[in-house]
Amino acid sequence: MRFDLKVALRYLLSNRLQSALLIGGVAIAVTVFTFNAALINGLAEFQIQRVVGNSSHVTIEPEKALPAVAAAADGAERLVASQRTLERRPQIKQWRTVESIIDTIPGVTGVSLNILGTGLVSRGQQTLPVTLKGVEPSRLSAIAPIDDAIVEGEARLGINDVLIGKKLATDLGIRVGQPIFIASDQGRERTLTVRALYSTGVDSLDSRLAFVNLDTARVMFDLPEGLTEIEIKLADIYAARAVARQLADTTGLEATAWMDKNQRLREALEGQGSSGSIIKMFTLITILVGVASALLLTTFRRRPEIGIMRSFGISENFVLSVFMLQGALIGIIGSVIGCLMGFGFCLALASLTGGKLPVDPALGQYDSALLLAAAASIIAALWPARAASRIDPVEAISQ
Amino acid sequence: MNAMDLATLTSLLDVRDVRKVFVDNEFETQVLKGITFSLARGEMVAMLGPSGSGKSTLLSILGTLMKPTSGSFQMLGKELTTLNEKELSQFRNQQIGFIFQYHHLLPDFTALENVLFPHAGRVGRETREGRERAAMLLDRVGLKDRMNYRATRLSGGQKQRVAIARALMNQPALVLADEPTGNLDRENADQAFELMQEIQRETGTTFLLSTHDRELAERCERRIYIRNGVVVEGESTPVVATKPAALAEAVAATAAGTPWRVIGGANAMVDRTGSTDTNEDRRRA
Repeated sequence: MRFDLKVALRYLLSNRLQSALLIGGVAIAVTVFTFNAALINGLAEFQIQRVVGNSSHVTIEPEKALPAVAAAADGAERLVASQRTLERRPQIKQWRTVESIIDTIPGVTGVSLNILGTGLVSRGQQTLPVTLKGVEPSRLSAIAPIDDAIVEGEARLGINDVLIGKKLATDLGIRVGQPIFIASDQGRERTLTVRALYSTGVDSLDSRLAFVNLDTARVMFDLPEGLTEIEIKLADIYAARAVARQLADTTGLEATAWMDKNQRLREALEGQGSSGSIIKMFTLITILVGVASALLLTTFRRRPEIGIMRSFGISENFVLSVFMLQGALIGIIGSVIGCLMGFGFCLALASLTGGKLPVDPALGQYDSALLLAAAASIIAALWPARAASRIDPVEAISQ
Repeated sequence: MNAMDLATLTSLLDVRDVRKVFVDNEFETQVLKGITFSLARGEMVAMLGPSGSGKSTLLSILGTLMKPTSGSFQMLGKELTTLNEKELSQFRNQQIGFIFQYHHLLPDFTALENVLFPHAGRVGRETREGRERAAMLLDRVGLKDRMNYRATRLSGGQKQRVAIARALMNQPALVLADEPTGNLDRENADQAFELMQEIQRETGTTFLLSTHDRELAERCERRIYIRNGVVVEGESTPVVATKPAALAEAVAATAAGTPWRVIGGANAMVDRTGSTDTNEDRRRA
């Protein structure tokens, strides 16, 4: 064993109560760190799964036609004008090719071929705006589990059927089996039968979205061949950006990952993450201050001993190393105990609350906690260690 | 080999006009006002003087724990005032041993570990050779059966004997002892002094003892008196024995790096009071 390590260990063991308190302090700080990480990350995961779990992870849309920069005569300023065509909405005409490309991507768990447009639904004197989503009946639940959300009727989507949200049905005063008049933004009108009501718990969906058969949508939105979007669901939601980039590169279409579509969610998660980071920072500062002050006291108490060591030619580096090692040992032992305590605490809390508190013991960032707490302890030991190594032996011996 | 060469070979420490001034705010206190003296290899010298005369300051300077304000001192032919902290630390570790009035053992370590510390701290670990030497030294000071006792469990006399063993761990050329018996009763003081004397005779290690105890000082080979920061009386230079055979043996053994094992030669060189031959030599000289 290295002799400086032996001396450091002996010093820690000689004052067991102080060492235990120090290690306990680090352990508690690390427990707070890991619990905070497990809670913040668990909450973020919970929110993501709630929001993203039932929606598209990658959405492919037609490429937006960018205006070309017109060549200008010498001396003239360039003028760029952009106007989207009003004649026909942008569409994905080559969707069969795109679908075959999607089939080659690993981790894709669902694909939905959609025509999306706006319209108005009327029942008697009531008229409300809705988003009409044309989907293949077999893929109705490919993205969101609409099948599971049906509260009345059956999830059958024939060409004359429509599925609407429970809230919309209430607003219109309509029930399953009754006809509903729908007009698309292309001026096409159809009377469809309400086949089922669903309730997802998301108000914007339950009151504003209506599912129709893809073929019905083709007619209503005047799109005999193309699609307006393709939705993709992935096994790993965090692979969405890479998949989106790959699809955009290979198809030339616009492919957007969920995190880039959900600005608000991202901001909320970032805000949550920042508050978590501040708490973590304070736990590290606690470790830093606690270890530094305790080791400074130890340094002061051991001044005569350090003076004696220096008197028989023990180098400054050896003394420095003894105190740095004490800091490192406190940090490492404390953070290992803290990680175990944090994991146990999160596990107990998760099982006690029956999953109501979104604490995920697996997301406690134990590696970061270990590394940062040990680093904080070593940094904290630096000052006392330097002070110890610079003790004047003559002064210290005569103390 | 002429007398000059012999003097150079047997000289251990040469102090020339060493001064020390302490400055506290605007006040200057001159503690040492030009100390000059020499120590030969293997002698035991007592340094006497009233409290505040500068003995402890001089010991700190000779032990390289403190730098003089001016003057020079050489040990083993090396000018020590020009060395940096790291070099001084290394030199101190290998050539100088300290014995303090209050033993100053490290309380969290055993007697064996205390003795071993100067060696293990230098090489970075406890070696088998180091442990054997520490055990041998503890055996020599009569504490073989207390080797694994914590320092706190030893009596005052035992602690000072451990401190003597620790001072000898790295086979130093010079042991500086600051009131080594000052904290012991008469019996233990005598035992500690006799132990140092025996070791000095056996190993040829030079001892410089700062003491108020005139009785012990009389038992040393030479005495230096310091008052108000200067040497006021006593023999400031050693009487060099001129027995060529003994000197040659001592010098050869010291050069080979084992001064503590030199017995016969070193004794003949330094034991001027106990040897008829050397006294006769001295008279002839």
